[in-house]
Amino acid sequence: MNLNYSDEQNMLREQVLKFCETNYDFIDREKILDSDSGYNEENWKQFAELGWLAVPFKEDNGGFNFGPIELTVLFEEFGKALVVEPYLSSVVMSGTILEASNIPEKSEIIEKIISGEHQVSVAYAEPNVGYNFLDCNTTLSKDADGFSLNGSKSLVLNGGNANKFIVLATHDNAPALALVEADVEGLSIQSFKTLDGQTCGELTFENVSVSSESILALGDEAKLLFNKMLDVSILCISAEAVGAMTSSYMKTVQYTKEREQFSQPISNFQVLQHRMVDMFIETELTKSLMIKATLQLDSDDPEASKTISALKVQVGKAGRLVGQHAVQLHGGMGVSNEMSIGHYLKRFTAIDSMFGNTQHHINKYQS
Amino acid sequence: MDISFSEQDLQFQEEIRAGLNGSEYPLHVREKQQKGVALSKQDMIDFHKFIHSKGWMGYNWPEEYGGTGWSPVQIYLFLNELALAQCPTILPFGLSMVGPVIYTFGNQEQKDRFLPDILEFNTWWCQGYSEPGSGSDLASLKTKAVLEGDHYIVNGSKTWTTLAQNADWIFCLVRTETTQKKQEGISFLLIDMNTPGIEVKPIITIDGDHEVNSVFFTDVKVPADQLIGEEGKGWTYAKFLLAHERFGIAGVPVVKVQLEKLKNITSDYDDANLSKKIAELEIDLEALEFTELRTLAAIAEGGHPGAESSILKIRGTEIQQRLTELFVEAAGQYILPYEGPDGFESNKTPAGPDYASPSVAQYLNYRKTSIYGGSNEIQKNIIAKAILGV
Repeated sequence: MNLNYSDEQNMLREQVLKFCETNYDFIDREKILDSDSGYNEENWKQFAELGWLAVPFKEDNGGFNFGPIELTVLFEEFGKALVVEPYLSSVVMSGTILEASNIPEKSEIIEKIISGEHQVSVAYAEPNVGYNFLDCNTTLSKDADGFSLNGSKSLVLNGGNANKFIVLATHDNAPALALVEADVEGLSIQSFKTLDGQTCGELTFENVSVSSESILALGDEAKLLFNKMLDVSILCISAEAVGAMTSSYMKTVQYTKEREQFSQPISNFQVLQHRMVDMFIETELTKSLMIKATLQLDSDDPEASKTISALKVQVGKAGRLVGQHAVQLHGGMGVSNEMSIGHYLKRFTAIDSMFGNTQHHINKYQS
Repeated sequence: MDISFSEQDLQFQEEIRAGLNGSEYPLHVREKQQKGVALSKQDMIDFHKFIHSKGWMGYNWPEEYGGTGWSPVQIYLFLNELALAQCPTILPFGLSMVGPVIYTFGNQEQKDRFLPDILEFNTWWCQGYSEPGSGSDLASLKTKAVLEGDHYIVNGSKTWTTLAQNADWIFCLVRTETTQKKQEGISFLLIDMNTPGIEVKPIITIDGDHEVNSVFFTDVKVPADQLIGEEGKGWTYAKFLLAHERFGIAGVPVVKVQLEKLKNITSDYDDANLSKKIAELEIDLEALEFTELRTLAAIAEGGHPGAESSILKIRGTEIQQRLTELFVEAAGQYILPYEGPDGFESNKTPAGPDYASPSVAQYLNYRKTSIYGGSNEIQKNIIAKAILGV
């Protein structure tokens, strides 16, 4: 057993940390949040130049063939700085599905993702099916020239910016994954800001034509692939949560040392010390499950999915505790939008709601 | 012991209910409240003018100052009915905060000058207590008032000032003397917000709302006859005011209404775990409500709520916050699209239940409740010291 990151992995961490220190202070981030697209194109170009957009892709498609460990390293650092660029949707979610597919366009699309030229989002959620994503009402039906898509998808991460979508639909009472262009006829897109300063889109498909070359997977294959994508995505946002928790408790410790009331730093008060210790403990426990899940996914362990559910539950509970305590200990400053601390709470809230909330994964763990 | 309300109390309750459901009630206000949409300044004025038109504005004031002279039980029933009718909260700054200070410690001229406008809601008051360096340790405040002839010259700043952007007047704790004991040099000053030298800057909170502000004072000239009571006695008045503010702070009636709403929403969700959490919250609420009634009964018999009212603040805000969490949990992933407390532009609505976005607003906004009005940590210190004697 070896639970140490390799030199290469540590270098990657250093690189992301440096980038965030230089380009991602609170004011930089505020500017991005206020922009229409909700992300910074310059940052995205830099991600490409630094090779980050190539991290999970196979070498023959121009990638680095890195696995879950490297992804969690990236995301932990993203979480510390609350990076909003659409890495999860375009690289992790889309990448996982595209990598496993065999469509003719595959290497061309992956190249464009790696170069930063194109962004691809997965449209997985729907208005009325909650977290049972595979039971979706959007249909992919066969017609004379190929297939046709009908229905609507919601909460599509980065939906307003994506050049292409991977759409989860139902075909012959079984799941299907199909690739469509954002500007295809019959597709309308509406973009929203999200509570944590990112963006998501609502897509409506009306008789959108899909050629058979754009079908990524059907039936059990689609189901397997989709579930794998969910596992990897949950791992990534969990790593992000670990980073955000680390920043939250460290910033809180710092603040309580500086903030004086009753002629002393408030960090002197034992009741506050114990709260911060609780924040620290929860962060460490989350990190433990995150590493366990990472290594299980990395080795295709059949238990991985169960650990992922355990992790998601821990992230939900710990994120809430750490986020809320951090705000409380900052007092009024904690609820001010001008301080970063409240933005961590918002991200924890969003993360808990995505890909199945705490209760959903408790149920899944039990089953 | 007797748990029931008297015949007269029940009749009183009926009268209030009928009044709130009457045709004079501003319907646009109720509509927004039901949708969870933020109210405008004018909405708030319309609501308060309605309450005044019914003769209820001075619900917690003695008759001699134009109040209703209601008993504590009547006040309790009145606040309950307001919540049931989904009314906004009656703004506390004039009615529950500065008003009682003025009629208790002010001189006749001040009573004549300020009290009628509070009852008629002609003046919107805000509270100048907290400062950037003085939160939990309020008595360390530094905003300075120096007497020059017949004016005080005020310099300093206040923060977290709720709705200062709408206010006509602010009541301030200011330092008139630097004393050994920091509480002793504090005075209570009323200041017209239109006085030159006052600047209000918005503070946007994490829900995206503009509810609180920073207020800056630069050489602000305040007539000396706007000092309440004696110079250096401000801390005594402030403590008196805080005791008044406690009444209703548990927010029980509002939580009850919200809880019913949540139960209705989730009745067809078939989610046993969520239902269990809602039931647990309801049980905690029952315990809190009866604790409040015990306090009420003590007041009705002429007692003064002491540190026990800190229980109401602590548990009340905990329940309020848990309730907002349950709304968020019920909405699940559909909480993601969120563009602020005013909802979305009218031509676009995201998928998901329509309570999702207001739930996010409420969840984020209500983090303040365990911080304001003396943080819950401070409340626990009060109980430890005053009741447990440790």
